Amino acid sequence: VAWAHRVYRAWLRAALVWAALAILWPALSYAQSGQRSLDLIDIHQGGDLSDLVHFLSFGGYELSGVDTDGPPPFQSFGDWYNTYWRDFSAEWLLTLDDNFGITFGLSTGERGEKYRIDPSIELGFITQAHPRPNATLTLTVATNYWGHLTEYPCSADYGQGFQTVNCRLAADPVDPAETLNYLLNEDPNRLSIRLTYSVDF
Amino acid sequence: MLRTNHALAGLILLPLAAFAVPALAAPKTTPAITANALQSWMSSDLQAAWTAGYKGQGTTITFVDEFSGSDPFSGNWGTGAKTQLHGYWTTQETALVASLATIATHDFNLGTTVALAPTGLNVLNLSYAMFARAGYSANQIGWSNQETSIISYARSGLAVISKAAGNDSVAMGTRTRSGLQDYLGDALIGAQSAIFVGALNTNGTTAKKATLASYSDTAGTNKTVQSHFLVVGVQASTTGLAGTSFAAPIISGYAAIIGSKFATWTPTQVTNRLLTTARKDTLLNYNATIYGMGEASLTNALAPNSIH
Repeated sequence: VAWAHRVYRAWLRAALVWAALAILWPALSYAQSGQRSLDLIDIHQGGDLSDLVHFLSFGGYELSGVDTDGPPPFQSFGDWYNTYWRDFSAEWLLTLDDNFGITFGLSTGERGEKYRIDPSIELGFITQAHPRPNATLTLTVATNYWGHLTEYPCSADYGQGFQTVNCRLAADPVDPAETLNYLLNEDPNRLSIRLTYSVDF
Repeated sequence: MLRTNHALAGLILLPLAAFAVPALAAPKTTPAITANALQSWMSSDLQAAWTAGYKGQGTTITFVDEFSGSDPFSGNWGTGAKTQLHGYWTTQETALVASLATIATHDFNLGTTVALAPTGLNVLNLSYAMFARAGYSANQIGWSNQETSIISYARSGLAVISKAAGNDSVAMGTRTRSGLQDYLGDALIGAQSAIFVGALNTNGTTAKKATLASYSDTAGTNKTVQSHFLVVGVQASTTGLAGTSFAAPIISGYAAIIGSKFATWTPTQVTNRLLTTARKDTLLNYNATIYGMGEASLTNALAPNSIH
């Protein structure tokens, strides 16, 4: 049921993104006349925070084995940090003249059993100059809103009753209460500035 | 009545020490081994604890042992061959397991009250026995302040007591073949924070199961003893040091590391954690009368029973 729910939510989120694009498209279409144009410049799944969570999904540890016969059961992080829909992003460039354009984008965010990455939007601009006829100096600035990564804790039983812990560190030699200090609570890069200089030979 | 204040003692203080293993020849050069290198005699469980930075900090392990005398013997924990007294061997073993635990020593010839640290988890390592001719009843034993304090700590749960089971190949709580009885061991049976520690020939794995060392005492048929009896590997073939004397310090070190993680737990809670998370599937033909609760597992003790 949880699996079906996650897939449903992921597809719902994607559908909303595409519906928004469908609404925006006519409003922006004027830009395609004359000097102006609207281009889809990037589409991808994943991202820094999504990659971070994906990396975490490869871990795991043995439980104490108190409640079972035979070898202790293995608790995989994959159950908690995998998702069927990784953060999906699309970015467009609205070119306003030969040397200036506005960039904007959307991402769906993603969700697993023990984490959530909020959807986000990206806004920015790109401008360029030609210090020499065969050279281009380009400044790209982008800002990001929302897209926060939140990690949820687990409830663990060490034989003294349940207590709240960081799922990943529950079997580490760290005090259970202290593990909560290491829960992921991350913002994406809020500001990206890139300056490039290229020369055509 | 027997007195055990050592001037009048009918009881014999006996470190449960190395025997039957030839002393290792000293290497020509002593290899430089850091305090936290995983030695071949150690369980691989320790590496994960050390990697996470937990080495027993915040805890105190007090060794009641032989620190004065004239009967040193040779061995090598992997940090260089030495010849020294029993108490120095046991303390160094635990220091290698839990290097950040505070190590305190109390010469067992003193007979005085054993002091506990005012804060943090207290662990007492008892790699010795108090032998006397079998047949006395408990109320015939007049303990010194030393053993009185130890027994009190164990019964009231003020310290984890790691007690070497004995090297007589008999069940805990029974007389040896020479007719002696370990009355200190007997006094600790049923104490809430006492653990009796037997020796395996090696650290066990599910692929290569361990067996009890031929010299080690067993848990026996007493259910109370069984429920407080653990075993750990004592790999004398690599260290030259055999005996349950060197099993108890490993449990002392484990208790300290567990105390580092569960800093608010009582000694009894730490004791129970070690006992209830011991593994049985790493032991050949596991039987509670031999192995008690099983082979101590630091990994299991640190891991949750369940999580969601």
